[in-house]
Amino acid sequence: MKNIIYKIVIVVFISGILYSCSENLDQLPFDEFATENAFVTADDFENGIRGVYKALVSIDRDGVVSTGYYGSSDAGSLLSAGDVASDNTTISQSGRRTKNILHNFRYSPSSGVSLANFYADAYTLIFRANQVLLYAENFTGDSKANIMAEAKALRAMAHFDLVRTFGKIPTQSGDANGSLGIAYVIELDPNIEPERETVSEVYQKIVSDLVEATAAINVSNPPGRMGKDAVNTLLSRVYLYMGQWQNSIDAANAVTKTVADRDDVVGVWEDNSLAGVIFYIPNSEEGLNNSIGVAWSQGGLNSIIPEYVASFNLVNTYLADDIRKEAYIVSGSNGGLQFNAIKKLLGKNGAFDGKVDYKIFRAAEAHLNKAEALFKLGNESGARTALDAIRSKRYLTPPAGETGSALLNAIQLERRLEFAFEYQRFYDLKRWALPIQRSNAGDLADGSGTASEVLSLPAGDYKFQLPISQGTLDQNPNTAQNPGY
Amino acid sequence: MLFSITMAVAQEKNVSGTVIDDTGLPLPGANVIVVETNNGTQSDFDGNFFIAVSEGQTISISYIGFETQRIKIGASNVLNVSMKAGSLLEEVVVTGYTTRNKTVQTSSVVSISAAELSRLAPTTSIDNLLQGKAAGVQVTAANGKPGQGAFVRIRGTGSLSAGASSPLYVIDGAPIREDELGAIAPEDIENLTILKDAATTARYGSRGANGVVVITTKKGNRNKDAIIRYSSRYGTTSQINPNFKMMNATQKFQFESEMYALGVVSAANLPGVTTQPGSPERQLLLDNEVDWQDLMLKEGIIQNNNISISGGAEKMDYFFSVGHDKNTGIIDQLGGFERLNARLNANFDAKEWLKVGVNVGYSRSVSDEPRDRNNAQNPFRAMLDYNPYETEFLLDENGEAVIDENGNPVYNPTHTTFNVRGALLTEPAEDIENVTLGSVDTQVILSKNWSYGFNTAVSHLNFREESYSQPGGILQIILNGNGNKRDSGTQRLDLTVSNRLNYNLDLNEHTLNVLGLFEYNFNEFNFYRLRSTGFPSALLTTQSNGAVVLGGQTDTERTRLALVSYGAFADYDYNEKYLASASVRRDGSSNFGSDVQYGTFYSGSIGWNIAKENFFKVEVIDDLKIRASYGTVGNREGISRYAAQDNVEFESYPGGSATVPSNIGNPLLQWETTETSNIGLEFNLFNKRIRGVTDYFKRNTTDLLFQIPRSDESGAAFVFGNLGEIQNSGLEISLQADVFKSSDFTWTLGGNIIFLGDSEIVSLPDGEDVDAVNTFNIRFSEGTKINEHFLVPYAGVDPETGAPLYFGADGNTYRSNDLPENEEHRVFQGKSTIAEKEGGFFNNVVYKGIGLRTDFVFKYGNWINNFVKSNYISDGANVDDNQAVGAFNYWKTPGDTNVEPSPSFRNDAAVNSDRFLERGDYIRMRNVTLSYTFPRRLLENSPIHSLRIYGQGQNLLTFTKFWGDPEVGLSSGETIDFADAVAPGEATLYSYPNTKSIQFGLDVSF
Repeated sequence: MKNIIYKIVIVVFISGILYSCSENLDQLPFDEFATENAFVTADDFENGIRGVYKALVSIDRDGVVSTGYYGSSDAGSLLSAGDVASDNTTISQSGRRTKNILHNFRYSPSSGVSLANFYADAYTLIFRANQVLLYAENFTGDSKANIMAEAKALRAMAHFDLVRTFGKIPTQSGDANGSLGIAYVIELDPNIEPERETVSEVYQKIVSDLVEATAAINVSNPPGRMGKDAVNTLLSRVYLYMGQWQNSIDAANAVTKTVADRDDVVGVWEDNSLAGVIFYIPNSEEGLNNSIGVAWSQGGLNSIIPEYVASFNLVNTYLADDIRKEAYIVSGSNGGLQFNAIKKLLGKNGAFDGKVDYKIFRAAEAHLNKAEALFKLGNESGARTALDAIRSKRYLTPPAGETGSALLNAIQLERRLEFAFEYQRFYDLKRWALPIQRSNAGDLADGSGTASEVLSLPAGDYKFQLPISQGTLDQNPNTAQNPGY
Repeated sequence: MLFSITMAVAQEKNVSGTVIDDTGLPLPGANVIVVETNNGTQSDFDGNFFIAVSEGQTISISYIGFETQRIKIGASNVLNVSMKAGSLLEEVVVTGYTTRNKTVQTSSVVSISAAELSRLAPTTSIDNLLQGKAAGVQVTAANGKPGQGAFVRIRGTGSLSAGASSPLYVIDGAPIREDELGAIAPEDIENLTILKDAATTARYGSRGANGVVVITTKKGNRNKDAIIRYSSRYGTTSQINPNFKMMNATQKFQFESEMYALGVVSAANLPGVTTQPGSPERQLLLDNEVDWQDLMLKEGIIQNNNISISGGAEKMDYFFSVGHDKNTGIIDQLGGFERLNARLNANFDAKEWLKVGVNVGYSRSVSDEPRDRNNAQNPFRAMLDYNPYETEFLLDENGEAVIDENGNPVYNPTHTTFNVRGALLTEPAEDIENVTLGSVDTQVILSKNWSYGFNTAVSHLNFREESYSQPGGILQIILNGNGNKRDSGTQRLDLTVSNRLNYNLDLNEHTLNVLGLFEYNFNEFNFYRLRSTGFPSALLTTQSNGAVVLGGQTDTERTRLALVSYGAFADYDYNEKYLASASVRRDGSSNFGSDVQYGTFYSGSIGWNIAKENFFKVEVIDDLKIRASYGTVGNREGISRYAAQDNVEFESYPGGSATVPSNIGNPLLQWETTETSNIGLEFNLFNKRIRGVTDYFKRNTTDLLFQIPRSDESGAAFVFGNLGEIQNSGLEISLQADVFKSSDFTWTLGGNIIFLGDSEIVSLPDGEDVDAVNTFNIRFSEGTKINEHFLVPYAGVDPETGAPLYFGADGNTYRSNDLPENEEHRVFQGKSTIAEKEGGFFNNVVYKGIGLRTDFVFKYGNWINNFVKSNYISDGANVDDNQAVGAFNYWKTPGDTNVEPSPSFRNDAAVNSDRFLERGDYIRMRNVTLSYTFPRRLLENSPIHSLRIYGQGQNLLTFTKFWGDPEVGLSSGETIDFADAVAPGEATLYSYPNTKSIQFGLDVSF
């Protein structure tokens, strides 16, 4: 009898547990959220578009953070690549020799330091933009048009940065337009293995996205996001790269932001002023807190460990009354060695922790784009006016009055001086079909010390197109390597 | 009849004796019986016995777990009986939720007893202990850090994902993670059983695919006064002397000037170029030469103390222990590892029909964590990178240390810009791990045949990790910060509730046991982290002293995983001759797609004890059993807990939250299934003087769980999915022989080996190759071995020019810059990170109380990419770092062969080549122990029951051709950490090296 009671109790007990346990198999995450629920309200889309921007600064893939777009990655990112691979910098013998493969043009598909992270990060940004665009289709809120415009602008920007890095630039050579571009991805599908499109096809799609974006985007969006001026600045640059001079001028003319006054220039790089800044990403200790200045140096001015210094040639190219010399370059020392340290990412307002806002687009570019485009159209006086709009706000007694090739040289020189350490130099030399020529001056402030190992890259060299990394080729059998590698 | 007459006339006399075990300890409670009579007794606590017996009679002495001894009484009145541990066929082994006598069990299992464990090399973590002990168990120490565990692979690598190839560890019914095995004191373990084939692993269903290690902790003996056992060990540990030499200052100066002469520009500012031989500047440097390995390392201290009290009354037994372990490691200025553990196991017969058992263990370990990374922040890299002419502190021109404003010498940043000697003091990091293991087991006897068991087991981890970068410290000076502290912690709860209904039938020749199981397992993981900056003093270390909390690095996480299981297992034997077992188990797991959560796993096995057949009369064969098994087992590891679902997560971006995709869902995600077949043969020969087991197995794993990489252009990085099929097969042999055996002297040899046959990838989705995540150069490709290196073959140095050459895809040799474009030059060469043969062997000699035991472990046929070597034979590329003496051997004149490339070619395009891919083969003497067990007569008048003292050496001898230490697990823990490692032992990158030690110890019981 007793046994029967035990048995009954046990059977009841077991069946009770059986029932309650089976329900526990439906587990939902605590730290994540179902994607379909994440794109419903207007706030959701604000969060969503910020998620696309976030890819510009860092991407967390399962705990592994990549900062290949505008990050401080030792492996190189757009934040430094345009100057590392140019005549603006000299590698410092005191640093860790980061990015030296890029600096010395020794990259190969398997060298690891060929902006491979940037390639993957840019496409991750594109994936996010496409996700926002997909869900926004069925969204009916007021902000729909602006959100979609931002997503398209970001998508276009990422493709543009990819194609100018890994492909030829249309103005660079006659064969550029038909050469290998990159894949322009507009679908949200983790399984695609797309082929590379031609340079011209890619630029057409970039223009198409940007034109749609300029029409619908808000005149201004909150800090850290692009507004109409930013898209027009980018569009003006894209047209300039394409050699569509009038379109470039038109887009530049649509930019309303005024150029920073001479008095404001230093403050812009200490985050005391937003004069002339069109698109920037705030970066404070309480916010993103990214030490992006590590790309150039670490340590205070008396104990600086530079990775790269401003090249002796660049330092001497600034005229004495050019305010940018003070704004962009600072003298630093360490154990008796004096350096021309790069200041643009050094720190806010006298600090040197490398935590400064990311400045992506500035009003000065619209004028310099315009100057170059007007010159190409033969309008020298217009070009001079546009050029002087910058020079009048940089020098006490600006150079003036050039004509002909001297004017073109002046436009190109001013672009180098204005955007030194601002991501452009390598691409400008590339699209102008010019060589990269470094002086043999050393890495110390007086030009002594050790020069960079490689001093030149001839015009038209295949290394102007960075290699597609071996890993990328391995994952996508349909893609192709650039010639020469 | 004749016999009984002899007996009748024989003179009866009193014989006294002592029973000791094979380690010389007295065996209390051994049964001593005069054969074919009812006359018998038991040995007392000291192993002594008295019995009345006649000359010519035979007495038998038996004890559970030992071979029964039969002794014919002669003229002597004193008998000393030395018992031998039971042979392989007589042990009782755990076979998954039940135990079974080895004679009738049909699965390939290896059981390691407490006695065996206590003889092995002292180590704080039991997984390291397994190496070389069981055929088919491949063990790779993660690194040599005190308290660090190992990568254990049973019968090859069964999965292609990180963490998914490890066996399931179950301690007293509770699963425990491989990382936390260090929490279990080896002294507390009664038995460790390794289940290898599906006949037993299938009973663990969805988690048994890579084998199961079942750990049972000790319990007391009933009806026994308490036994107090104390063991203590003390010794020193140090670096295993490297088998390569780094340059001294004179050599490095010479090297630098040679490099400069060859156009290595970066040597221009190095002292070998800037100072002249014989100059005062050069002499100052030479006068202050530093041996960085000497400076950075120390002779560490190992110390272990353990005390246990065990015993029992009629209806209860208990085992209580506390232990303390300390291993300072070999890094000077770090405290190393310290563990405190306590355990209480108690079993009661609460009622005639109710038995209750409670096992509770707690352990706390504290470990100083050196940075395990691939730069000078890692002392093991720094000590090789720093040049011998670089000093610990900055010196002025007189050779005196430069003093800072506080009066302290200023650390020399060295050419690496980082002085790790200073950083070890100013950048402390500490791990504190608390593990609690508890289980309550209730058994209700329902009737003669039926019983019901209810078991609740919990394993709980409370882990804290603190790292502090002190204000004013080495790193903060570089970063211009004012102190930075990170706290993080993990709480992990694993709860298992199991219900078992058991039916037992013992009917003449038929024995049947059937078990019905319902089990629920729940695992919750909680994590937090917090980082602040701005600390007013280096002495203030808690977050409350920080000025600014860093938002981006302050958060919490939580995940849950649930498993629901139903199972039925049956074991049958007929007269112990014909054996059969079967199992079926159905598991549902929460981390799969909601329509495919359940998987069914089954097994069947049969065995035949041929030697028990009447017709089998072969004198020399004592036991002979053949057995075969087949079954399916599952795996659910290797994917994230919510991998089947499409999810986003939120990061922050100026303006507010930022939605970012966190997982691209796969609703079809389901079990990985392994099909295992096994055929085994067990035998004992020549009066059990030779004992052996051999098994042939084949494992086929399908629907591999995998993080499938997607094209970069997709922007998706990867998707979790079921991918392809892999296969492992192999032969295991385990042999032991008593070469010589008498009461005073025994000599035993033994060993085991696995011959891993096929270990290959059978198929992959769409046949496409996959580059393995968290590896350097491993590619998965159909038909290749698992974890095979994929590299461009190095063709040596061009004897005419000194240039390094590589084989192109066309078979011709090229300089790297000239390798034909757009072709794949990397190839598979059948060189995998997994050893083809692995095992161990031992030699044990016991003469009276003196024992000498040596244990060797070996690996053969694995290949390691020696990145460390490539940094020190760098062809001048790393001329600013110290180099190995071998770097001098570079090409100098046309015709030079057997040389490294000329430094003139150091800038040739980088190639992932096999130039530094080396065989990882080694034989290492893991353990040598010389021990003395005091004879009874010396202890007779003391309260001591037994006393053993020993000296033990670990890793004192290694045979290898590998450059550096061949025991490579983690490359660098911060590059690929333990949990992410897919191909342990792929490459070297400065992880904590394995150490050697010499220790002295004693075991005493009262």
